[in-house]
This record gives sequence, C-alpha cells and structure tokens, in this order.
Amino acid sequence: MKSNSYLSSFLFLFIALLLSLAIGSVFISPKELWQVVLGHGTEISTSILWRIRLPRTVLIALTGAALGGSGATYQGLFRNPLADPFLIGIASGAGLGAVIAMSIQWPYSFWGLMAIPMAAFLAALLTVFIVYSLARIGQTIPTTNLILAGVAFSSFATSLTSFLMIRSTSEVRRALGWLLGGATQNNWTAILAMLPYLLIGIGVLLFNGHTLNLLQYGDDQAQQLGLNVARAKRILLIASSLTTASAVAFSGIIGFIGLIVPHLIRLWFGPDYKRLLPLSILGGATALLASDIIARILITPQEIPVGIITALAGAPFFLWVLRRSKNQRFW
Amino acid sequence: MLRKPLILTLLLSLLIACAPQATPTTAPVATDIPATEVPTENLAVVYTDDLGREITLEATPQRIVSLAPSNTEILFAVGAGSQIIGRDEFSDYPEQAASIENIGGSFGEYNVEAIVALEPDLVLAAEINPPELVQQLEDLGLTVYYLGNPTTLEGMYTNLETVAALTGNDAHGLVDSLKARVAAVDEKIAPLSSRIPVFYEIDASDPTKPWTYGPGTFGDLLISRAGGYNIGGNAENDPYPQISIEQVVAANPSVIILGDSMWGVTPESVVKRPGWETIPAVQSNSIFPFDDNLVSRPGPRLVDGLEQLAKLLRPGLFE
Repeated sequence: MKSNSYLSSFLFLFIALLLSLAIGSVFISPKELWQVVLGHGTEISTSILWRIRLPRTVLIALTGAALGGSGATYQGLFRNPLADPFLIGIASGAGLGAVIAMSIQWPYSFWGLMAIPMAAFLAALLTVFIVYSLARIGQTIPTTNLILAGVAFSSFATSLTSFLMIRSTSEVRRALGWLLGGATQNNWTAILAMLPYLLIGIGVLLFNGHTLNLLQYGDDQAQQLGLNVARAKRILLIASSLTTASAVAFSGIIGFIGLIVPHLIRLWFGPDYKRLLPLSILGGATALLASDIIARILITPQEIPVGIITALAGAPFFLWVLRRSKNQRFW
Repeated sequence: MLRKPLILTLLLSLLIACAPQATPTTAPVATDIPATEVPTENLAVVYTDDLGREITLEATPQRIVSLAPSNTEILFAVGAGSQIIGRDEFSDYPEQAASIENIGGSFGEYNVEAIVALEPDLVLAAEINPPELVQQLEDLGLTVYYLGNPTTLEGMYTNLETVAALTGNDAHGLVDSLKARVAAVDEKIAPLSSRIPVFYEIDASDPTKPWTYGPGTFGDLLISRAGGYNIGGNAENDPYPQISIEQVVAANPSVIILGDSMWGVTPESVVKRPGWETIPAVQSNSIFPFDDNLVSRPGPRLVDGLEQLAKLLRPGLFE
C-alpha cells in the first residue's frame, strides 16, 4: 500500500510534467518534440520547449508542491479541515505587498523587476509574524487565537489592497492578474530565487510528519506524549510560511490547491501525516500542473489565470471523488 | 639513447606550433569583398525606447507583433499595417486588424508561445503591458520596443513619428494633417468665453458612484480642448476617479457623454436612473452615446475624438 501510493503519485506527476511540456497553445507534434529533445528541432520549437514551457512547468510544479505541502501542514497544525496555506493571512499580506510595489514606478532593471516578488515575499512573512505575535499568550499559541488574529488581519490587508487598487486604477489590470494567480515571471531567475526558501521549508516539513501526528491528539495530550508543543508549532508555522511565501511571490495567489489536495490524499491514502505530507507535495505539483494545462488550452489563444482554473476544475473533481468515496468520514 | 629523439620531437613540435603563426603575414590579404555588402552592416540603427532600453534594428522590421490596440492603430496609420503579423485580443481597429493572428491579452495574459512561433522581428509593446512581459520576450531573444503613453497630442505625434521611423515609414504627412485638423477645431473653440460643463461616463454599473476621466487623461484634455469643462477634472491626482452622484448633481453638467455606450448603456436608461432626474443634462435630454476608444486609446484617432466632442458640445459651429 505504502510503496503503491508513492509509485502512483510519482507516476501521475511524471505524466503531468510530460503533458505540461507537450501541450501548449502552439501545437508541436510528438515527433518534433522528440527532435527538440535530441537537439535537432527547429529553432522555434526548441525555444518554445526549453525557454517557455520548461521554466513554466518547473515553476508551476514547485508552486503546486509548496501549496500542497503547506496546506497539509496547516490542516494538521490547526486540526481544521477548512485550513489552507492562506488561513492566517499570508495571501492577503503578500497581495498587499505586491500591490504596494506595483503602485511605485520601478526602473526597468533586474531589481526593478524583482521588486514585486520581493515585496510580496517579505509582506507574507511579516503578516505571519504579526499574526503570530498577536495570537501568542505567554509561551503558548492557542490555535483559535491564531485563526482569529489571522482572519482579522487578513480582512484588514485585503481592504487596504482593494483601496489601493481603486486609487491607482491604471495598475488594476496588473494587480488583478497577480491576485488571480498565474506565473507572471516564468524564467530561471524566478525559480532560482524561490528555490532555497522552498527547499528549506519543504525539507523541514518532511521531517515533521510524526510531530503532526502527535498534534492530532490535541495540545495537552501531545505535550504529555513528550512533544514541546509551542516549539513544534513555531517550527511548523515558520517552515510552511516560508514555503507558501516563496510560492506566492512569483505565482500570485493560487487558491484551492492547498485546501483540496491534502483532502484528496487523505481520502485515498489515509490520515497518517508521515505519508500525507510527501504525497500532498507530489499531489499539489500534479494538480497545479493539470490546472495550468487547462488554463493554457481552454480558450486558446487566450490564457486564463491559473488561479481561476484551480477552483473551477478542482471543486467539481473533489466533489465527485467525495461522493464516490465510501469512506466519507475521513477526518 | 632516448634523449636525442625526445629533444628532436620537442623541437619539431615547436616548429610546427610556430608555423601557423607565421603564415598569415605571407598570405595574401583578401581585398575583393563586394562593395554592396558593406552598407548592410551600417543599416543597424540603435533606438532607445520609453523604458530606457536600447534596441538595435538590423533591417526594417517586416514581421511586427503589436501588443496593444493603440499600437495597432498607430502602425496602420503610419502605413505599416501590412507589416503586422500578430496583434493582441483587443485590437479591433481598423477592420483589417481582425484578420491578423490573435496573440491573446485578455486577463493581461499574452500567449508568449504564439508570439515566439510567429518569429517577429519587432514586438511593439505599450504602457498597458507589464515590464515582466517585456523582460520575458527580451529573454527569448525577441526585439521589443516599449512605446510609452503620451500625455499630450504633441506626445502622440512624437509616438507616430517614432513608430514610422522604426518601421521604415514616413509620418510627416499624417502628423501635418492631424495638426491641421486640431488647429481647425482650436480656431473655432478658442474665441468662446464660456465652457460647457460635461460629465463623461466611463462606467456607471453603480449609478450612485460612476467612474469618469480625471486630470492627466486624454478624456479630460480633449473635453477641454473641445470647449467643455470636464467635471471629473477636479479629482486630485486620480486619472480615473469614482465620484459620487451628489458631486455630479452639484457640478450641474449640461451635457452627459456615455463612454460606456459600447457596453449597452443608452440615454434612455440614464433618464430612468433614480436620483439622476435633477441633473440639467438629463432634463434637457443632452445625453450622447460616444465611442470611448476615440479618447482612451493614445493613437491618431484621438483627433477624431476631439472633432466629435467639439461637434457634440458646439453643434452650431461645426457642420
């Protein structure tokens, strides 16, 4: 069962990666794609495959992995099926940071182009820090406090973002595109910039499956079982925030993946976080790649922001799986 | 025994190594390069675009992708219409633009794959395109010229001349005729002492808080130039203010211009809006549908916009 779940997850991810490279708005035949891989393709096909589709595929896969992993962590951390990576305001914070950065005229340069992702990243982390400080009581971090502080701060940041967007109407298109999610900077620079944070974050999460399992017994029992609950929560919060923030910085706000993928994994493979975490990471990458492929081809030559597709295609799929599942009380 | 052959081999290899260096001096220098080939290298022209980027054009671009409706209109106006091979979703003027390949642009997302597949030798970007897109296209090895938004008619003429120069065309005749048409309007409007208060409606999905043109927009500029007084022009530093219906009533506009008529808004529907009946323009039924593209797109049709606004506001002065 265990090896089977990993095998199938890797297989699906592999298929999604291949499809993401093969399918795009410009049709390239399988034969031509193979020629490109061998290095004999036409200049255009080569350029499209290696310089547009490959970086985009990698960025989307990493973003999906980040959202799936931190989604599973948040659900475990808050012991709440409604939790997603954006529960305590990381998305609203990043959105506010991005829109503030967009309202400034940056020079056209490397750092000018990096200003928006950097602002989004820092604002996301700052939001988590503020929410954490607000929710903390002495040495403990009551989960309810964290959620309430997060939701309140999130609403505050969202209103401020809307206000800024209404004030600087000329940037609305750009801001809206960012808030709807979609890889605006899909190049290797973006991937290299996000990779360190993502690897550290995901790496830490992968070592904490057991911690999350213990937390499911409730704070008091977990403490009795020998877990330093406050410290564990802090580590999980930092790691998943780092992961989410690095994903959000370059891809904007992509909803639903972080909420639904861990649930699907739980439905199929059970609630053990030691397995749930890595499988959610793989599943997140697969799900976002699938959404991105749909976003590319649905109304070609137009491209739809992928954040719209994740829920548009993901929600019916999830409901279908939920209805079919005999194990409906999976929480 | 072994030493001698070794030294010999070393010496030999040294000689061989030296030999190629000596040959060029004795070789005849090629002097018979055809003269016709030389000028092509000098044709490369360096331009600086409105992002401060340097663009080198080796030859006159024949495969142009336009990323904005205003750019498409400018290209056609300066005579480069036949050089366009790709255009964005919203480029709907002139009619010939419809048959050019669509490279996306709704939701702000352009189809980069399709652009690359078209093998353009020039991509003409505009201020509505995010710098991230410019960078991505540049990274893909495409030549991108970023045309900034003008804020005056003079700036628009400059853009026409820039695009004409980029595409190997001449815009002098076009600019002269546009200037003459503007002068003809100015001549009739300038002597007038009074200004007609105008409310220009961009969107009134919420009739209690419509959107209008603020300072710094061509909407504001052209209304003033056509003898009107744009009541949205007071909004501080906001080019597209959303103002309260109370302010519209207080400003007493005698003319309402419906820039949103292309979305189905009609003078009849304005009359029926609750609270609008107190506005003089509604009472006198001076409500006019208008093609918003004539004031929103920074291209040559701004002059059409000026003429049409002037005719609307001062019908007696224009036939």
